[in-house]
Amino acid sequence: MSQAYQVPTVAPSTTRDVAGDGPAINYLCGDCNSKVPLKRGDPIRCKECGHRVLYKERTKRMVQFEAR
Amino acid sequence: MPSSKPSKSSKLKPTDTKWSCEFDTARRENLFRHPPKDHSAYPLLKDAIAPHVESFNALFGEDGLIARGLKDIGTKYYFDGDAQAPISSRNKMSIRIKEVIVNKPQLTDANKFSKTRSILPSECRERHVTYRGKVSGRFEVRINDGDPHEMIRELGQMPIMMMSSLCHLQNNSPDLLVHRKEEAEEQGGYFVVNGIEKIIRLLVVNRRNFPMAIVRPSFVNRGPTYTEFGIITRSVRPDQTSQTNVLHYLNDGNVIFRFSWRKAEYLVPVMMILKALVETNDREIFDGIVGRNQFGESKKEFFFDRAELLLRTYKNYGLYTKSQTRAYLGEKFRVVLGIPENMSNYDCGTEFLRKIVLVHLGNLDVTEAQDNDKFKMLLFMIRKIYALVSAECAVDNPDAVQNQEILLGGFLYGMILKENLEDLLTTGIRAALRDHLRKVPEESFATPEFLRTLQSKILPRVNHNMGAKLEYFMSTGNLVSPTGLDLQQVSGFTVVAEKINFLRFISHFRMIHRGSFFAQLKTTTVRKLLPESWGFLCPVHTPDGSPCGLLNHLAHKCKILIKSLDVSEIPRLIVDLGAVNSNSSSTQESVVIQLDGRILGWCTPKQSTFIADTLRYWKVEGSHNVPKELEICYVPNSRGGQYPGIYMSSGPSRMLRPVKYLPLDQEDFVGPQEQPFMSIAVTEPEIISGESTHVEFDPTNILSILANMTPFSDHNQSPRNMYQCQMGKQSMGTAGTAIRYRSDNKTYRLQTGQTPIVRAPLHNDYGFDNFPNGMNAVVAVISYTGYDMDDAMIINKSAHERGFGHGTIYKVKKVDLEEGGDRSRSSKNVKKLFGFAPGSEVKAEIKSYLDDDGLPHIGRLIGEKDIIAAWHHVTQDGNGKYVNKDRITHYEKYKEKEIAFIEEVRLIGNENGTDPLRSISIKFRVPRSPIVGDKFSSRHGQKGVCSQKWPTYDMPFSESGMQPDVIINPHAFPSRMTIGMFIESLAGKSGALHGLAQDSTPFKFDEQNTAGDYFGHQLMKAGYNYHGNEPMYSGITGEELHADIYIGVVYYQRLRHMVNDKFQVRTTGPVTQLTGQPIKGRKKGGGIRVGEMERDSLLAHGTAYLLQDRLLNCSDFQRSWICKACGTFLSVQPTVSALATRHTGTGIVRCRRCAVTVDGWSRGADIWEDGKGQKYTGGEDTTLVTVPGVLKYLDVELAAMGIKLKYNIEP
Repeated sequence: MSQAYQVPTVAPSTTRDVAGDGPAINYLCGDCNSKVPLKRGDPIRCKECGHRVLYKERTKRMVQFEAR
Repeated sequence: MPSSKPSKSSKLKPTDTKWSCEFDTARRENLFRHPPKDHSAYPLLKDAIAPHVESFNALFGEDGLIARGLKDIGTKYYFDGDAQAPISSRNKMSIRIKEVIVNKPQLTDANKFSKTRSILPSECRERHVTYRGKVSGRFEVRINDGDPHEMIRELGQMPIMMMSSLCHLQNNSPDLLVHRKEEAEEQGGYFVVNGIEKIIRLLVVNRRNFPMAIVRPSFVNRGPTYTEFGIITRSVRPDQTSQTNVLHYLNDGNVIFRFSWRKAEYLVPVMMILKALVETNDREIFDGIVGRNQFGESKKEFFFDRAELLLRTYKNYGLYTKSQTRAYLGEKFRVVLGIPENMSNYDCGTEFLRKIVLVHLGNLDVTEAQDNDKFKMLLFMIRKIYALVSAECAVDNPDAVQNQEILLGGFLYGMILKENLEDLLTTGIRAALRDHLRKVPEESFATPEFLRTLQSKILPRVNHNMGAKLEYFMSTGNLVSPTGLDLQQVSGFTVVAEKINFLRFISHFRMIHRGSFFAQLKTTTVRKLLPESWGFLCPVHTPDGSPCGLLNHLAHKCKILIKSLDVSEIPRLIVDLGAVNSNSSSTQESVVIQLDGRILGWCTPKQSTFIADTLRYWKVEGSHNVPKELEICYVPNSRGGQYPGIYMSSGPSRMLRPVKYLPLDQEDFVGPQEQPFMSIAVTEPEIISGESTHVEFDPTNILSILANMTPFSDHNQSPRNMYQCQMGKQSMGTAGTAIRYRSDNKTYRLQTGQTPIVRAPLHNDYGFDNFPNGMNAVVAVISYTGYDMDDAMIINKSAHERGFGHGTIYKVKKVDLEEGGDRSRSSKNVKKLFGFAPGSEVKAEIKSYLDDDGLPHIGRLIGEKDIIAAWHHVTQDGNGKYVNKDRITHYEKYKEKEIAFIEEVRLIGNENGTDPLRSISIKFRVPRSPIVGDKFSSRHGQKGVCSQKWPTYDMPFSESGMQPDVIINPHAFPSRMTIGMFIESLAGKSGALHGLAQDSTPFKFDEQNTAGDYFGHQLMKAGYNYHGNEPMYSGITGEELHADIYIGVVYYQRLRHMVNDKFQVRTTGPVTQLTGQPIKGRKKGGGIRVGEMERDSLLAHGTAYLLQDRLLNCSDFQRSWICKACGTFLSVQPTVSALATRHTGTGIVRCRRCAVTVDGWSRGADIWEDGKGQKYTGGEDTTLVTVPGVLKYLDVELAAMGIKLKYNIEP
């Protein structure tokens, strides 16, 4: 289920981006914990069990803070 | 020792529920890792909440309160046709509700996607919606007494109490609860309304079915000849709704019966009701009041005269028989009670007696025997009022627990539901029928299709939504009721069950409110702590300040009865024991025996002692079918004391507490009414032979759950214990283990909680180790740096770095795009969606905040004005696709100043699973490690503010090298006298040294065996000083301090009041438009008012410069032009010149009032021009002054009223 952290291969672009319809993003079902790929405008429900609360996954990007 | 494999052993034997004072670390760890599959290990928690859950459960079922209420509502009749026409010529329709069906919370059929249809409470919390179930009613309609037709109508969805019989979680094992995203020890008792947990407050009301003697000066104002004397009976129907009956005594000896119906008050001569109840004669009534022996030696002149007058004055009405009187009453109250037209006046009168007079004695299909009971009871009430007036008996105190009971949440909920159902039948359907018949006059009830029209056209126009009304009640706490439900308040019935920490949460369920009506009362009598409360209400656990004494908490052993007891055997037993029917008004000769406000018989005072004692013996023994929870209030004869008799109660809503019955050495339950007349010893040695009948199981039984957690509270000054009860509820602790699945607006969490070394065994019984609330700290009592003055405390910096007091705040923000818009949230009505608008440009910076879906990255740090979500407008095209046309992305920003981390992001769908992403819920984590200014407290009401994090190398150290975590000032003790804290320090120290969990139950030590000695010897065994003092060395110089320092281990709580939520500073900032003074409010960056007293203080100090700085420079400082000659601000104006620059102007200001106009062609140095080109000369005497902005505003306001201010300006 869990994917290991991957170092981002593409350097984050510093220029402006144009948003598209976007790829399907995986969310986690609040009931059965299965992955729910959703696109913009899709109804919010689990494809497996029909649950109505989905969680966003923790980001795969590196999160680093200054230790103080 | 706990077994190492509890999951297996639990199958063999049930989870152990016995706890001691020990740490039981391994056992708790096992319980936590493997939640029990049978039952909770902490049954006491369930008992604490039981009154809430059980009262809600009592509503449902065959003989539930709702079913009883429906019987009371009965059948309603409707007539068609002309209102003037004779009733026999019109068609009759009757409707009654046969049953109300409430379902468990479930998805509607509109959802076609989910396999599991049930809605669990955790989902409701996460989605910020209400945990509610469908309500429907089975209606039975009959037309002209034809065949009954049944129809089922939906009545909306009503909030369901957690863990009730309608909740999916009822009887779930801790293991299953954890799987359902709840606490392992979830007990329910509250409602989830819009994602917020709400509970119905327990309210204090008058004791039911007991005629209370009252003296109330306001009664005199009711009319001429009224006196202050009265008898109040709060009579309760089987469905737990109540009707209060009052008897008023008039000057001339007459007695008036008063009741209120639908918020209006009515007065009836009591004689009329007596005559209506039974077929009687004057002699019988006279005998009933005066009793036998009217001509004997104990002849009662007082009673005699008044009874005679009662009978004589009633002659004016000329009503002699029962049927005459009933018909008379029926005629008068027909409209008031809303009785159908086809009923005779006599039946109307019967209905009046059924609905209003002493309803506890007969409320449905009243039999003659029940009417006779009512008759006898009324006579008794008259007798008691005469006894009160003649000072034979004392008044009953309505503020004492003795004469009170508890209005339970579930019962109140049922009352509201019943009233709404009745309203639906009477007002709702009646109005709809009338409208329909007016619109379609050719139709009548007898029309063949009428039933279909009723179902398809008429009923749909009636508002059936009971659920919405109950939800409104739960979310606001406001009672919308035409009858007022016999209560004294209309709001404040519900409160949020805040989960700041577990102590606070559990306290909500034990809380008892006197009623908001009493909060406004100027007198303090209602707030007094009365000895009657002993053992029922905690004497310590009440807040100080405005709710003091009104908001009490139940003692931890006190329970509230929910079910009525089976007392069918009692009347027979009473007769067997010698009760008779004949009686006398003299209490010396005969006293009454009552059961739930019904007179069972009379006996002599001597017999009554015997009867009461025998019944009590039987009840504890459990023999003769006398239930143990029966309350037998034996009021002995006295000179001018409470009216004597035996008053037994078996009904619900009573408080009860266990004590030991000495003759049998068994548990007995006593109630508040009987307790004042019993002799209950507090401890075994205090038992007085021949007098004491009972002894307390434990003296700590009188304390609430929270008050029991204060260690050695018997050694503290009492207000300190009260303060601790406050602060225990404000400490940053552990709300629970299911924090991930909660969405409270704000919750606190202590990262490094510990179990206290010093604690009472109850700590384990209630499982408080699952919710740690503080830390064990090494505390030195020393005046060390000066930074510990005035209740400040110094924290060892290294202790802080090791995590002492480290906490977190979780905040949840719901971002709802369609919020406040049109109510119809159908998926066809989507106007906004989360995400970037397709085709819009997204800056790289924004990409660092938001993911591709327009939602924030989880784990990211955000600060003020950072972006937390993106959304855009959409419209729906022909294929049902959402398209964006404007290509503009809008952003939602984080508004708080403090940094936070994104903890969770929840995508919230609608119930049908059809909605696209329109609302999300973001949880922020705000780290709050302790900083200077945060508040801490020990468990003895000793609060303090952290004043410094002192480096560990500068802290004092003991011979063994120990350094304190916390330093407090010795001055905190002499005036506050919290000796308990000293003892805790000793006990904590020896407990830490020996690895013991110290029992801190109060009342365990006495003068002979002192706590100091006990723990002192333990310390000696560990090689420490007996007194807890230690020689210490200065951390700065290394020198030994001149005095030995008292150092030990004390449990410290971190309170939720933190500087970061409170600090408020400013020099400049936003100001009010009108005056130029700073605005109010911390959030908006406003200032704090320097008020009159602050000003006085600055004046007294002679700090004039500071005063000017505060009051003028930092406030509405303004430089303004003024004309010296005429002394006004209002006449000056800047001059205009063609030569001047546009921005700065000429910089010359002149007084228009002093100036003289000159014609357009004149020229000269002293000539100036206004904006219109008009030229003037003169008005040069202007100057620039510094004034407060409000002064100019005042000038303008006064000028508007035609008042001129003139300022003398010098030099």
